[in-house]
Amino acid sequence: MKTFITMISIFILFQPNLFAQETKDQCYNCHSALGDKVSTGFQNDIHFQKGISCAACHGGNSRSDDMSVSMSKSSGFKGIPKGNQKSESCIVCHSNSDMMSKYGSKLVTNQNELLSRSVHGKSSIKSNENIIQCIDCHSVHGILPKTHRRSSVNPINIPKTCSKCHGSAVFMRLYNPSLPVDQNEKYLTSQHGILNKRGDSKVAECASCHGSHDILSASDVRSKVHPVNLPHTCSKCHSDAKYMKGYKIPTNQFERFAKSVHGKALLEKKDASAPACNSCHGNHGAIPPGIESISKVCGSCHALNAELFSVSPHKKIFDEQKIPECESCHGNHYIETATNKLLGVSSEAVCSKCHTENKNVKGYKVARTMRYLIDSLDSASKYADSLINSAEQRGMEVSDAKFKLRDANQAKLEAKTMVHSFDEEKFKEVVEGKGLAVTNFVIVEGKAAFDNYFFRRYGLVIFILIITFLSIVLYLYIKKLDKKYLKT
Amino acid sequence: MNDKGHLPEERRTFLKYLIGGGLIGFAGSVLYPLFAFLKPPKQADVEVTSASAGKLSEFEKGTGKIVRFGNKPLLVIRMPNGEVKAFSATCTHFDCTVQYKKDLEIIWCACHNGKYDLNGKNIAGPPPRPLDEYRVVMKGDEILISKKA
Amino acid sequence: MKNFWNKIYDWFNSRLDLQDVVGFIGKKYVPVHRHSVWYYFGGVSLFLFIIQVITGILLLFYYKGSSDLAFESIQFIMSKVEFGWLIRSIHSWAANLFILAAFIHMFSVYFSRAYRKPREITWLTGMLMFFLALAFGFSGYLLPWNELAFFATKVGTDIMTAIPFIGTPIMEFMRGGEDVTGATLSRLFGFHVALFPGIFTVLLAVHLILVQRQGMSVPIDMENIPADEKKTMPFFPNFLLRDLLLWLLVLNVLAILAVFFPAHLGEKADMFAPSPEGIKPEWYFLFMFQTLKYIPAQVLFIDGEILGILLFGAAGLLWTLVPFWDRRSAKGQSSRFVTYLGLFAVIFIIVFTIVGWLA
Repeated sequence: MKTFITMISIFILFQPNLFAQETKDQCYNCHSALGDKVSTGFQNDIHFQKGISCAACHGGNSRSDDMSVSMSKSSGFKGIPKGNQKSESCIVCHSNSDMMSKYGSKLVTNQNELLSRSVHGKSSIKSNENIIQCIDCHSVHGILPKTHRRSSVNPINIPKTCSKCHGSAVFMRLYNPSLPVDQNEKYLTSQHGILNKRGDSKVAECASCHGSHDILSASDVRSKVHPVNLPHTCSKCHSDAKYMKGYKIPTNQFERFAKSVHGKALLEKKDASAPACNSCHGNHGAIPPGIESISKVCGSCHALNAELFSVSPHKKIFDEQKIPECESCHGNHYIETATNKLLGVSSEAVCSKCHTENKNVKGYKVARTMRYLIDSLDSASKYADSLINSAEQRGMEVSDAKFKLRDANQAKLEAKTMVHSFDEEKFKEVVEGKGLAVTNFVIVEGKAAFDNYFFRRYGLVIFILIITFLSIVLYLYIKKLDKKYLKT
Repeated sequence: MNDKGHLPEERRTFLKYLIGGGLIGFAGSVLYPLFAFLKPPKQADVEVTSASAGKLSEFEKGTGKIVRFGNKPLLVIRMPNGEVKAFSATCTHFDCTVQYKKDLEIIWCACHNGKYDLNGKNIAGPPPRPLDEYRVVMKGDEILISKKA
Repeated sequence: MKNFWNKIYDWFNSRLDLQDVVGFIGKKYVPVHRHSVWYYFGGVSLFLFIIQVITGILLLFYYKGSSDLAFESIQFIMSKVEFGWLIRSIHSWAANLFILAAFIHMFSVYFSRAYRKPREITWLTGMLMFFLALAFGFSGYLLPWNELAFFATKVGTDIMTAIPFIGTPIMEFMRGGEDVTGATLSRLFGFHVALFPGIFTVLLAVHLILVQRQGMSVPIDMENIPADEKKTMPFFPNFLLRDLLLWLLVLNVLAILAVFFPAHLGEKADMFAPSPEGIKPEWYFLFMFQTLKYIPAQVLFIDGEILGILLFGAAGLLWTLVPFWDRRSAKGQSSRFVTYLGLFAVIFIIVFTIVGWLA
């Protein structure tokens, strides 16, 4: 019995036109009787299920089964739409909210408006036609809702849909030869891509970041993937704890990033040269950098620090002990401006995490010395600065010394970089040889300026005393002479 | 000169001594600054801060040096082909002092790996603007720099 | 001690026959009356001029007059040369005090009609020196080649172009070209340290010789006082020592000013920068500058600026020629018109200087 039912079911399932009911749509009736591929596909189309006829897009009279009537020009038959006509049929309903609610749809109706302003809404290489028509992504005669597993715009299928054009070098050459075409390849190596391939529709795919109808170039400041906007785009999922449940990764990255020196530069100062999420994680091949390669990633901007670290004693030890480079001391998302506090052996210093009085003592001593040196450079520089400024306030000429102070600031920066060599000698060279040499010079000049300031005033007092004395004496002499020479 | 008056001798002499002393003090307080002024100062001559970048014959090819121009540092480069160029040495990103990298044929900023080509144009890294170029004029063997035209 | 000086005198006297000169000086008398305090201002002006020459020559040891070194050389003087700040500040302050003293001296001579016969030439040389003093001020002001000076010179020489026909050639002569450049600096430097001092010295010599030969003038109402009631004082030593005492006090004032208000330097001139707002000339030109601002752009058919300049030119000429058109003073009478004109001039200058300063 079971076998019989199975066989009957299989027989029924495989009947080609079994689902070809008799509908009010004469176009469909005729074409499906002919067994053409289009109408077969159309059976699965959501429009068919909603009772929309072929004529809705192709024009013509769907109530007549007489071809000369239903497919006549006078009845509005358009045939196979060409160019932008292809999308016009969609726009007629899908941009009309009344129409949409008539069919009980809660879909938005601004797709075409967005598309016309997007990068895809521009003219294609053919005249009078946009680059993209609705059916290019949504397919035709088999359009399924996004949530349907086989829909071409279901998250699981989107990478394939987009790659149809964006993965073809030959095609992309026609529009933007410098645009890469390996995004999908990279995507498949990323965590998003791996999960997406497994059928996870929650992870990010092309449309999650780039948008769907409103795609703009990444260099467009309005684009969701412009560096200044990118962190917000990523955090839409990654900061949503409920959404991210089950993925077992933290959801506080954006919050921490926004407080960091990189975040402030990017999000508050709108400095597009500051790193966004993709700068360190990659965009299509997004995966957090591996432990051994963190310094190379950070080093793409912080080149000197990375270089020094790579040849320092820390590199080998960090790799052996699987300690993440850069991040262990500076953090990953919440990277603060590096101050002297990070260096040294106090409880706040990162060195003390591994180096104590009893553990890794050699490094402990070096850290302590380095902190001491950099602190002394900082205070010397501050003192020199204030000395010169107050001398200048008092009207003394100190422009030479002021100019030299630039070198002191430069030395401070170089010292902070040189920390990453973890080499006491090299560090001393920068701090003492460059920094303190300059500050000492400037302090001497500043003090000389002050000395001169007071010298002038004391000198003046003495001069006034002499003049006053001479004036009085002279006056007395004049009075004496007057008595002698003047006739009263 | 006529005779002095009929004042008692001591007062007359005392006044004269006072005048003499006062005059000597006065002369000293005026002449001392004058002579100190004429004494050559420690730095014998005013440093040409805003014009000269030194002598061409002493400027090795393929090197760069920082020169003071008023209150700003300039990077003066003698390129391998002999040409001399001058740029603002202040990086347009965060004000660090840039340097000439002969091997890479670029101007480089050590702070965040910013790179400029030898026309001063920012080509890589965070710098948002090119470096200002300054005019270099040769006066015999001397390199003179003036504000960009 | 006295013998020593006598011996020196004898040595020179036997070769130069100085007796007459010395005798002459010994018999010079200075009138003493309620207005004789004004007599000192000529001497003060002279003293300040001498100060300028001395400090100016000292500065010449270190100043460099080319556009790429002028500013730096003054920075050098202010910071690296011992007492350079003092010499420069004194030079700067004494310039202002010199012009002020010259103004006062000139007006006191005017009001007391001292320009009347026989002292017309003294007045003319004095007026020429006065104009030269202003020229000294204008040319010297540019020499530090700082922002303020550069634009003040630009504006000042621009005004010249308002003079019809010869205005632009005059401006180009002053500037050494069409614009204010290093050539202007060299030129004004040459004027300031060579041409003007040379001419001034000649005028000064004439002026002083005349004063010595003619003696001090008395106000008109005191001319007719009987001889035995006329109070006088020997020029040497009484008046001279008073002069020297005053000079000592002026020097004192200069020192105080130099220490507490050292000369300003500011930023180096940048030929390509736009003019800063509110550029003003030095105070002694301010009244003219401000007046020009108030003249409407067009008066009848004449351009306002040209009118202003011509008016000032005419006023200056009129003032300079006062000995020749003030007939009454030649006859020994005070003309009320002259007094009122003088008062008007003084008040006008003071008011417009203050207005210009506050603007």
